[in-house]
Amino acid sequence: MEFLGYFGEVFTPFSFGLLLIGTIGGLILGATPGLSPTMAVALLIPFTFRLEAAQGLILLGAAYTSTVAGGAVSAILLKIPGAPANIATTLDGHTMAKKGQGARALQLSFLASAVGGVFGVLLLIFLTPVLATWALAFGPSHLFWLAILGVTIIGTLDSSSVVKGLLAGCIGLWLATIGFDDIMGAQRFIFHPSLSGGINVIPALIGLFAIPQVITMFSNGRTQASAEVIKVEPSPIGDAIREIFRRSRSLTIGTLTGSVIGLIPGVGGQIAGLVAYDQSKKFSPERDKFGTGHSEGIIAAESANNAMVGPSLVPLLTLSIPGSPTAAVLLGGLLIHGIFPGSDLFDNHPEVAWTFINSMLIGQILMCIFGLYIAGLAARVAQVPQSVMAATVLGLAVFGSYSVQNSMGDVYVMMTLGTGMYFLERFGFSAAPLVLGLILGPIAEANFIQGSMIANATSGIGQYFFTGPLNVTLLMIVLASVAYSVWMEMRNKRYVTKDDAVSKEEAL
Amino acid sequence: MKKYIAAAAVALTAMTGSAFADGHGDYPERPVMLMVSYGAGGATDFQARIVTMTAGNEDALGMPVAIINKPGAGGRVGWNWFATQADADGYTMGAYNIPHFIAQSIEGGVSYSADSFEPIANWGADPAVFVVAADSEFNSMADVVSYATANPGGLTFSGAGLFVGHHIAALQLEKAAGVKLAYIPNSAGGSGAMKAVIAGEVLGGVNNLSDAFRARAAGNVKILGVFDNERNEFMEDVPTMQEQGYDIDNSSVNFRGVMVPKGTPQAIIDDLAATVPEMFANSRVAGKMKAGGSPMHIMTRDEVLEMWAARQVTLTELLAGL
Amino acid sequence: MNNLPRSQHIVASGLVAAVGVWVCFVSYTQEPAAAFLFPRIISTVFAVLALWTFGKALMGKSKVGNGLTADSMKKILPGLIVAIVFVFWAAKGLGFYTASTIVFFTLLSLYDPAPHNEVRTWIKRIVISAGYLVVMYGLFAMLLSVFTPREILF
Repeated sequence: MEFLGYFGEVFTPFSFGLLLIGTIGGLILGATPGLSPTMAVALLIPFTFRLEAAQGLILLGAAYTSTVAGGAVSAILLKIPGAPANIATTLDGHTMAKKGQGARALQLSFLASAVGGVFGVLLLIFLTPVLATWALAFGPSHLFWLAILGVTIIGTLDSSSVVKGLLAGCIGLWLATIGFDDIMGAQRFIFHPSLSGGINVIPALIGLFAIPQVITMFSNGRTQASAEVIKVEPSPIGDAIREIFRRSRSLTIGTLTGSVIGLIPGVGGQIAGLVAYDQSKKFSPERDKFGTGHSEGIIAAESANNAMVGPSLVPLLTLSIPGSPTAAVLLGGLLIHGIFPGSDLFDNHPEVAWTFINSMLIGQILMCIFGLYIAGLAARVAQVPQSVMAATVLGLAVFGSYSVQNSMGDVYVMMTLGTGMYFLERFGFSAAPLVLGLILGPIAEANFIQGSMIANATSGIGQYFFTGPLNVTLLMIVLASVAYSVWMEMRNKRYVTKDDAVSKEEAL
Repeated sequence: MKKYIAAAAVALTAMTGSAFADGHGDYPERPVMLMVSYGAGGATDFQARIVTMTAGNEDALGMPVAIINKPGAGGRVGWNWFATQADADGYTMGAYNIPHFIAQSIEGGVSYSADSFEPIANWGADPAVFVVAADSEFNSMADVVSYATANPGGLTFSGAGLFVGHHIAALQLEKAAGVKLAYIPNSAGGSGAMKAVIAGEVLGGVNNLSDAFRARAAGNVKILGVFDNERNEFMEDVPTMQEQGYDIDNSSVNFRGVMVPKGTPQAIIDDLAATVPEMFANSRVAGKMKAGGSPMHIMTRDEVLEMWAARQVTLTELLAGL
Repeated sequence: MNNLPRSQHIVASGLVAAVGVWVCFVSYTQEPAAAFLFPRIISTVFAVLALWTFGKALMGKSKVGNGLTADSMKKILPGLIVAIVFVFWAAKGLGFYTASTIVFFTLLSLYDPAPHNEVRTWIKRIVISAGYLVVMYGLFAMLLSVFTPREILF
């Protein structure tokens, strides 16, 4: 209960002001297509040079929390996820927005984020020592199986044909191998100088989601705005709160999946939302409604996203190992003040550690309040004429993908992938499995190679990858996931197109 | 259009009388970019941010330095970009890591070598150290080597990648102790390699002194030896490899500094070579570096040129044996 | 939806299959083999799935997807050309802010339904473009301090 004593620090006017700035700024940056949480946090680092350690971390922590949640705004309203974490949110969120329930989708997403987020931070407060041993339990072989588990989700994710879903996933896995390979340093598939750095996930994500949306807006031509404007139905907050608790199964699955996956260094946030979405779909009696604007999809994805924030800091705060790029940036923020994460942090600088953690707790709640306010503005976004929206999104996509690493090559890759994706989408491929492949490819490959190097030096590959309780458990989940997909395919309960699925849903 | 603006700018500076006689004008007149070929939050990135934080002061560059990260493949992605695509106008600087980029250029498959870059100044020297988990049965390098002698190729130990300082240290250890080891390069760099040691995935690891210092403070690892010529001020209690009977010099010490691409105007190089070491010597910088556990080692352009040439020779010899 | 011309599916899946086979060929012919182990596994699965899809399309069994119509292509083309010129040439050639403002204005003129023959429309478009420039400059240059290529002007 030590943390209670430091709540006062958070509510001093200056700290609270920083918390507000971090939260609001984070929401806005997160909602801007093309800016990722890591970038937002890295951009704040220079400001923290001038602040006290605790205050600097308040700013960084608040920005981290709220950019992750803010990414849902563009995911829902524009089908452009702000970060890889928000991909799963587009699946049901954007479909719901297209049906005129954008405000409701946003409310559900922020409420689910807050529930997941608070749970995640509470885990961080109470269970840190236990979680730290958990985080270390995942070695190369386990991470490899986890990545394979992700691959098995690919086929059934947002695609009306399993074969095309898998094919899109393969394209993503292949794109991930372009560039120098991380271990040997060999050059692979570099047929244009822009590709020598490989395909960076963020520009690819921007291109694959934003550019098809821009082209789709073009395809409506010079239609009268009134014909295209989606009506946004008013949505009382009370209804959204009741809905969240009515869907407690998805909320629980999302929160738990997010917390567990967030804990694992190096995999974390990028796939938490997708895995939670998939799990919640498999356990739901209404699984056929997923992808048609179903509230469970949003709740699972967004609660997982924010639940991962707290646990993802466990390896950093206890072992001084940054588990994600964002955590690495936070580490810099601590070191600059001469504070070493680990026992030094909790023993000698408890005021820094607990103020930081408390501010994330308060930050989750502030984020929810401002988020619900933003949800009320959803109607305004829907009224922006398509021509203005298309041109703005194109501009943001170019600026956003350039600023990731000041590289024109990334902008070319973004545009090429995006244009290609538009045409693929017209033939039943979708972007989500492709991005999932792009994210999972390097994780699977690097861990397989490291694992087999260790295995060759010690026990042999068979024993290293197939024995041990954690390996066996993960392997069973992988097999169950494959069996489930096959079974679903046999039952042939799939719709021909996404539009078709939506119209069937409306008929129900 | 551009010409007219440039002409107008020249006219303006001429009028105010601030144009330099050697023809590079008011350099720098806009923020300077510093490319770091490792991810945000890594040791190189973190130190680069500290040593450049006073760049905006009048006695330094007078303009802020913006850090751009281009991580991938042990630094190859960033240095390739720097050698082939960066503008040689003085507004694009890069951070170098010795022996990494020289070793990679000797190994081949990249478009740079020591001749592609012009060093400006060195800010830090981070020796490699041998770490084992806190509960490991190894207490000295002798324990490690006797295990390796008993299990040839069975002693797994992690490092940040192939042909980086850690790998060089590993090769030196194999050669000096006459044993076969299983070096496991980690794709997540130094922090991934450290995690592998703490989690017990591998029996030991080579890592940066600055990171190991922190991990030891957190009670997670033991440090068995330093791959350097003398003991380090951050850990006077840890013996060097030579003290423990292995003939290993400082070839693997990770020197970090600033460079510009070949072709940058000589006037700008001279200007930078004069101001940058002083910027590194700022007392605020030294304080932050010490607080973060990062050893500083300031060297001027001439000293760095000498060091690069020396490393080129020793690394060619060492890697020829592979 | 199901009356989509079979030829479109054949062309689309044929292109994907061609890429798949090419990737497969490249990964099996490149060295070092150790670094290409993973690409080989992936590209094999990629090629098999792509050929399967191509086969299905040939037999007319591809049903998924809305395909392309001549009408929608006609509407897309001007915007797509502007976007491609912007990304691959103008952004670097003219500078990010200049190019993106010109592109913004062009796209607005191409796709805004308001009548072209009224002065009011044009004033409105210019004002919106200027507003866009201010917001982008404020966000990227001032707030995030990203240094984008600046050729003419800023």
